[in-house]
Amino acid sequence: MERRQRRAAWALTLPAVVLMGVILLLPVTVAAVLSFTDFSLGNDSFNWVGFKNYDRLFTRSTYAKMFVATFTYVVTVVPISVGLGLGAALLIQSLGRFRELYKTIYFLPVMATLLAMSIAWEFMLHPSIGMINRTLELGCGTVLEQVWPFMANGCAKTFPVWLGDKRYAIWVICFIGIWQGFGFNMVLYLAGLTGVHRELYHAAEMDGAKSGWERFRLVTWPALGPTTVFVVTISCIRAFQVFDTVEAFWPQGGGPNKSTYVMMFAIFEKGVQQNLIGAGASITVMFLVFVMILTLIQRWLVERKVHYG
Amino acid sequence: MTRDWWKHLILTLGALIVIAPFYMMVSYSFKSPGEIDRGEGGFFGRQEMMVDERCVKLRDPNRDDIAAAALRFPNQTDAQIRDALVAEATAECSMRPVVFNYTKAFTEAPLLRYLLNGILVTASIFFIQVLVAVPAAYALAKLKFWGREAVFSLVLFCLLIPVHAIALPLYIMLAKLGLTNTYAALVVPWTISVFGIFLMRQFFMTVPDDLIDAARMDGMGEFTIVWRVMLPTAIPALLAFAIFSIVAHWNDYFWPRIVVTGNRDLFTPPLGLREFKGDGDGSFFGPMMATATVIVMPLIVAFLLAQKRFIEGITLSGMK
Repeated sequence: MERRQRRAAWALTLPAVVLMGVILLLPVTVAAVLSFTDFSLGNDSFNWVGFKNYDRLFTRSTYAKMFVATFTYVVTVVPISVGLGLGAALLIQSLGRFRELYKTIYFLPVMATLLAMSIAWEFMLHPSIGMINRTLELGCGTVLEQVWPFMANGCAKTFPVWLGDKRYAIWVICFIGIWQGFGFNMVLYLAGLTGVHRELYHAAEMDGAKSGWERFRLVTWPALGPTTVFVVTISCIRAFQVFDTVEAFWPQGGGPNKSTYVMMFAIFEKGVQQNLIGAGASITVMFLVFVMILTLIQRWLVERKVHYG
Repeated sequence: MTRDWWKHLILTLGALIVIAPFYMMVSYSFKSPGEIDRGEGGFFGRQEMMVDERCVKLRDPNRDDIAAAALRFPNQTDAQIRDALVAEATAECSMRPVVFNYTKAFTEAPLLRYLLNGILVTASIFFIQVLVAVPAAYALAKLKFWGREAVFSLVLFCLLIPVHAIALPLYIMLAKLGLTNTYAALVVPWTISVFGIFLMRQFFMTVPDDLIDAARMDGMGEFTIVWRVMLPTAIPALLAFAIFSIVAHWNDYFWPRIVVTGNRDLFTPPLGLREFKGDGDGSFFGPMMATATVIVMPLIVAFLLAQKRFIEGITLSGMK
């Protein structure tokens, strides 16, 4: 009986174990090995080049731009999409009416094909016929023109060519990232909020926490700790993987002056399009290192929390 | 209600920004090129008859056409017949903008094929994921065997690896096997869902052992137990996983972009839309937005019909 069960157990897990090995672990090893070579597809021989690929990563200006673009994106999108997600969740939870409606609307971008929506955004951002600049033009001749230099400038000359201007390109990408992601965070926070006990608020009120802010600081925020850790980690990992918008807007080159040359796009461009596998593999390894560090920090935080509570 | 007006104000403003691109996408898919250029016509456009110039040009009558039509237009000169034919073509090539946009979406590119590819790929991925993950999850949750801890640690470790991040080595492996530009390439990397194993295992842990023991008493083998006893108890978890998996793979653009190059027969919907955009000369906003609408709508409609399930599915898969 015992032995039969053991055999069955292995038969049941074997496909999964084999696939994990071949599809997840092997590629990580392959990437690590190839990052020390000058391998390219269609070329049978290759040379070991030591740390040359990594050396380039940290000395070439293209890669400097890649790191700047990636970190700008992550550092902007993660806090804002988490903050907006929390804000929306708190507002929605405190309402009696229309809760479901807001929830549905904010969740729409999460379900939508990002590539299709990128193209829709591209039209919105079109310098002459786009909805955004048309809306901005409505503000011309109003008081906005006096108080907002951007507006005055736009009305006097032209409004920005959003996607063609290196000052704006990365922020447009960030904006779309936030637009797409904060509904997901909101839903996770709403789920987290249902777990906060009512009595805790009463207790806090007894202790003199009168204002809404006090109650939030003393009860809600600590209770949402685990949710926040999870939401931040998953937002980070998703943010590191930004690709669709960049590829949709600038199929070649990663934006004006490479200002939106994010890591995923770099891997795609170097490794797949230019067949510089060594370079692509070294970016892949860097990417995995970032993701591992993030997840380990998350697990450490979660475990500390568990022991704490 | 009155005290909450500022909350509604903020949330409504937010909602307007969130909806704006959807509004624009659907609205453009209804409008004629002229209305799009001039930014008029409200949401639906005026739906005035428009003439498809390209269609008229294609039907431009040549000498043979005129000779063939001579019977229908007796006692007229060639020039008159020609004019009559052009008028006929123009009449037949004119249609409402909404019809124009959506027919173009399906005729300019094999959109139907792309949609079927998308369904095929998404369904295969989900099917294989379940086939692999559910037995493993059952074994990890309910069977005692040597190496269980090791396998579970492996699962936890693999949870750290986003498949998109290892796309390049996977692509090289597939290329070496000669599998790029095949359906297999689109499906293979996703056959193993570590997350699926983890989610199903957590769920199976809550199933009472008595149920399994009773099944064994009845003489069921472990394989039968997985599919006949465990799977039916796990429908909510399975549904959550289905939503998670289908949404991710219907919308995925990165991986198909890497392994499918040029072969239009294998295009998934996002790739098709991308190609459409690349081909366009700029005057095709309407049909392109119609394509985008067709691609985005299936999931949005499913979501609107079963909101609770979707949100639960996405959060369940997030929280555990």
